[in-house]
Amino acid sequence: MPELKFIAAGLAMGLGAIGPGIGLGIAVSRAMEAVGRNPEAYRTMFVPYILGLAFTEAVAIYSVVIAFILIGS
Amino acid sequence: MPHIETAAEELFTVGPLSVTNSMVGAVLATVVLLLIAVLALRGASLVPSRLQLAMELPIEWVAGIVRDAGGSRWRSYVALIIGIFLFVLVANWLGLLPGVGTIGFFASNEEGERVLIPLVRPASADLNFTLGLAIVSFVAFTGIGIRANGILRYLRHLLIADPWWLTPLVTPIHIVSELARLISLSMRLFGNVFAGEILIAIMTALVPIAIPVVFLGLELLFGAVQALVFALLTMAYVILAVAEDDQHAAEPTSDHSSDRSPGPSSVVTSGAHGEA
Repeated sequence: MPELKFIAAGLAMGLGAIGPGIGLGIAVSRAMEAVGRNPEAYRTMFVPYILGLAFTEAVAIYSVVIAFILIGS
Repeated sequence: MPHIETAAEELFTVGPLSVTNSMVGAVLATVVLLLIAVLALRGASLVPSRLQLAMELPIEWVAGIVRDAGGSRWRSYVALIIGIFLFVLVANWLGLLPGVGTIGFFASNEEGERVLIPLVRPASADLNFTLGLAIVSFVAFTGIGIRANGILRYLRHLLIADPWWLTPLVTPIHIVSELARLISLSMRLFGNVFAGEILIAIMTALVPIAIPVVFLGLELLFGAVQALVFALLTMAYVILAVAEDDQHAAEPTSDHSSDRSPGPSSVVTSGAHGEA
């Protein structure tokens, strides 16, 4: 049934965004807390912070790609 | 609903090879970068012109990051990192120009529908381009690791785990995780840029007035961040490969001999001090 692919795409993206969403929220909250305690740490922290965000977000991006492949197929 | 095509559409064939619209985008990005380089360096002097100054800003910023994080031999790979950053940045941002992805010709695809085939597609919205860049990164960090540590030491670190009796468990995971860097680098860039394209297309189809501006701005930010992330991840992998040997680990030294005026991020800290 070709209509199931839309349900599959929705499930893939929806379920696949739970983990990275929570993870990103935790990462950003800790980063804000760290900068709030010690504003000088911003410069030291910026690059690892961006790298950490990219790693976490990549997992959600894999789900997006699967969803698009499913919709387009 | 706009038609979503994951693979890049072919425009014409040159013999057995096909030219896709993302190849046109990649060539366009290259031409733009070369033009900027030629124009900025024309009459380059110690007192820089405005374009030269504008181009020195991202280059010095990325070089500063590489210098602070890298080992003593950061100069050997800083050009690769800056090149990857600038190329991916221009390739991402070219996807936001009006006409890219929208101006094209109509043709029927395999399912028989009439779809629009755009003439130019952002290069990083094609998995071939991002996979090619990821292969360049892979060859770079493997090659630099081998050149810095010697092939025997590199293979020994790769194949034999730290307590040697854990090798049957750890070595396959280690090898797979090194190969998975290829997949994660390419999919991360492709997914971000491709999803951004789809987002803008759908938002423009839903509300053609005023709202897509927000998403264009979002794509501007994401394009820049993803370019930076690709370049910095390559740098991180190179540093990991060079510093692999535990006895002779390269400590990240701060090479202050090339210090210049502080970058823009120091403005944030000085602002925070001003309020305290």
